[in-house]
Amino acid sequence: MDSLHAIGFYASAALSVIGALVVALAPGRELRGAGLAVLGIGLAGLYLVLSAGLAAAVALLCYLACAALAAGPRYRAIEPAVTSYWRQLGAAGAAGLLALLAYAAFRGDFVTVGFFGGVVNSAALGRLLFAHDALATEAVGAVVLVALVGATAAWRVRERSR
Amino acid sequence: MTVDLVAVLFVAAALVACGAFAAVWRRDLTAALTGVPVIFAGAGLAFAGVARFSAAAGPELIGQEVAVLLAVTALALLALGLGIAGREASR
Repeated sequence: MDSLHAIGFYASAALSVIGALVVALAPGRELRGAGLAVLGIGLAGLYLVLSAGLAAAVALLCYLACAALAAGPRYRAIEPAVTSYWRQLGAAGAAGLLALLAYAAFRGDFVTVGFFGGVVNSAALGRLLFAHDALATEAVGAVVLVALVGATAAWRVRERSR
Repeated sequence: MTVDLVAVLFVAAALVACGAFAAVWRRDLTAALTGVPVIFAGAGLAFAGVARFSAAAGPELIGQEVAVLLAVTALALLALGLGIAGREASR
């Protein structure tokens, strides 16, 4: 991987981590949506550098849609009765998770092999999605269908009860 | 300057940790839900990195396939969660 790709990788990585931090720390829903959009752009750049062009296009579309959803209408605030002790414990757990994953990445003994695919790989990826792992694709399609029907039904019930 | 699997996994770990932090730190459940796509982004990035650098056995693009499926699933989960939460009553 040449230095131009490396610059693209580190710029996209910085963009995606900044977006993730905005999602985690920003106060308003518009800012959270903007953070998700920035994360999507950075993630698409990372996928492009990693020779996953189709995944980049799909991730960009999905994360821009996530951003539009998160920043869209005014959602109800649902605040469960969780004490700040448990929240702080969860935050410490997230920090521990970061340390654990970084340690595993640093100490891991990975095999390095050559990559002979193209940049976009749409034909090969389509063969994998719709022939080799068609069952997994069907399962994710079912999840998407259930999610969209459930979301639509939930919206309609709430609109009608108003 | 070079990129290897360790660098990809470091970025993926940062994304997963940021998403987990957002999911546990936010008081509002609808805000906490936005941490889920961030976690999925980190997981998808790790899969794509393994497909690019270390897929020695099996189809070498299977990590990219999982990354595509994870992005779609993240969108579906966010839509479902926000749909269940519903909007505030209009004033």
